Amino acid sequence: MPEALDRMTRFSPTHPPPGEMPRIKTGRIATLLHRNETLRGYLLMSPTLAIMTIGIIIPFIILLVLSFWTRQGFEFDTTLTLTNYRRVASEPIFGALLARSLWISGVATITTVALCYPMAYFVAFHVRRNKMMWLILITLPFWTSYLLRVFAWKVILGYEGVINSALISLGWIEAPLEFLLYSREAVIITLAHAWAAFAILPLYVSLEKIDKSLLEAATDLGDGPVARFFRVTLPLSMPGVIAACFLIFIPTTGDYITPALLGGPDGMMIGNFIQVQFGPVNNWPMGATLSIVLMLWICAIALVFLFVTRKAQERIA
Amino acid sequence: MDVLDQLGAIREGKLTRRAFNRSLLAAGIAVTAVPLGARRVLASADQATYLTWGGYDIPELFQPYIAKHGTPPNFSIFGGSEEGLTKMRGGFIVDVAHPCNQSMPRWVQTGLFQPIDPSRLSNWPDVMPELVDLEGNDAGDGNVWMAPVDWGQTSVTYRTDLFELEGEESWDMLWDARYGGRLGSLASGGDAWWCGAIKAGVDFADIATEDAFERIAAVMREQRPLIRLYTDDTTTLEQALAAGEMVAAMTWNSSAVQLQSEGVPVRFAQPKEGALTWVCGVMIHRDAPYPDLAYDIVDSLLSVETGQFMLNDYGYGHSNMRAFDAFDEETLTGLGLSKNPAEILMAGHFQVPQTQEWETRMNELFEQIKAGF
Repeated sequence: MPEALDRMTRFSPTHPPPGEMPRIKTGRIATLLHRNETLRGYLLMSPTLAIMTIGIIIPFIILLVLSFWTRQGFEFDTTLTLTNYRRVASEPIFGALLARSLWISGVATITTVALCYPMAYFVAFHVRRNKMMWLILITLPFWTSYLLRVFAWKVILGYEGVINSALISLGWIEAPLEFLLYSREAVIITLAHAWAAFAILPLYVSLEKIDKSLLEAATDLGDGPVARFFRVTLPLSMPGVIAACFLIFIPTTGDYITPALLGGPDGMMIGNFIQVQFGPVNNWPMGATLSIVLMLWICAIALVFLFVTRKAQERIA
Repeated sequence: MDVLDQLGAIREGKLTRRAFNRSLLAAGIAVTAVPLGARRVLASADQATYLTWGGYDIPELFQPYIAKHGTPPNFSIFGGSEEGLTKMRGGFIVDVAHPCNQSMPRWVQTGLFQPIDPSRLSNWPDVMPELVDLEGNDAGDGNVWMAPVDWGQTSVTYRTDLFELEGEESWDMLWDARYGGRLGSLASGGDAWWCGAIKAGVDFADIATEDAFERIAAVMREQRPLIRLYTDDTTTLEQALAAGEMVAAMTWNSSAVQLQSEGVPVRFAQPKEGALTWVCGVMIHRDAPYPDLAYDIVDSLLSVETGQFMLNDYGYGHSNMRAFDAFDEETLTGLGLSKNPAEILMAGHFQVPQTQEWETRMNELFEQIKAGF
């Protein structure tokens, strides 16, 4: 401390070092900022930090605390207990809904990435001019509201919807296919379409970055197109694939609106059950607990996924 | 300079700083100006808010209010009255809300509502007294908590051409395994659970007993695999019935009446076990930001114009006696209504207020059953 004080007095503008004339008069804060790089960094980040604190950290703490409370009529019993967590662990409904949500969104993620990869590949390798235009055109459907897209799928998949009417008019089916709407399949189809933009863009970026000379080298060394793809292109685009998987899997697991509108009784997901806790069932602590449990599960799965892909990449390399 | 030219110019590095700034300015002005134009269309800020069931958010129910204020009130929608109450308990302040007789005493207990002074309502003298005289509605000093507006039934609407009736109309129709996957139900326990009680043969006086919970849960679990969709959106049910996607569904009067007016061959069943009957009304929030407008909303809902629309277009009973004058006895019977509401309400199973604990437990159980457990 004395040292610091000493330094401050020595360098502060009011006490100029001997032999130097006082230069521009600056405030104490400005001086501090000038000297301290960390502080400058934090200042630069401060708007983001403030929003993060108000919008994410504080609500998260509230959620966490709420999850340890219990419901008592319309009020909360504020003694901290693990009752809700025990219920989640012991009652089969929570586990089943969680597993169903993870399954639905896992399938939706794989489908989306598998469908978007060729599109991104095409734009990255085969489009020479106006790449930006292509990307804009591909993402154009995603400029409309999410809700609107979900409703559009309801129209497409519906009992008298586009698919059923087309199949009937072709004479391929007698009665409309009922499994198309109000089912898990409907939720998966809709999620796979609705989140496509979040897969195409990271995939495109990672494919675009691949050095074309590596592909030429692979060809020169005797790899056919298929081997070349699996040995060079795919491993090098893995960062994009991983990013796309995360971007889709994490938000879709807790998705609410798609299963609510298209899921029917069997397509209900954990997000709907969390909403029910905050709505008619009126058990906010339970809803908070479910949200935390969902977050933990997503974290765990993401970590495992990261670990596995990293191992796989190491093996290929 | 159109957008593509701009993009091209950026890529070739031809865009000058001045031109770039000009585009920014244009974009800025456009962004600022867009909401200005839309403001008139949006719900205006200085209007009262009416929290109600889906389907009641239409200007036709507010003709006197519109005549006086130029626009209908702002609407906010709930799927079940418990959801509406939770919203308000969470701090959502409205002016007027729309519960039913079964939940009214619990709504009053929350302390979120103020008594209604009938002397401020011009249509009050025409309101049927038997609808005002409900359990828990007396707020003292001649005031009431809830001004009754609409009354009706929850029953089965079925396609007469697609549903082959075996014997009499009955609640068994919604448990008919022949039509598994083609039946629909309201999602709110406030309707469905009570209908389950009728099906299970539970007297409403005993609905809070342990035995009743078990018996009703058993019939609801039995029904669940047969149901294509549980929803609180009456439009979805109506569309599904119109398309033949569903052959029968639990609905209120309005769905059947509206489908009939579109020429869809449906009937609103009069089940031999009796339909579920209810009276709904409006309450004024304690902290209503626009108390005067709130009274205008209530008065408008009680008006003859609103009543005639409700009767004619929605098939609901209304609380204003004079609204019935425009209809002859035959039309009313066709709609399943009568000038004497007690006749209809008591012929069915009239909902009885329950405790908060019951309501919460019922909702919790019903949500689990709907999720398949």
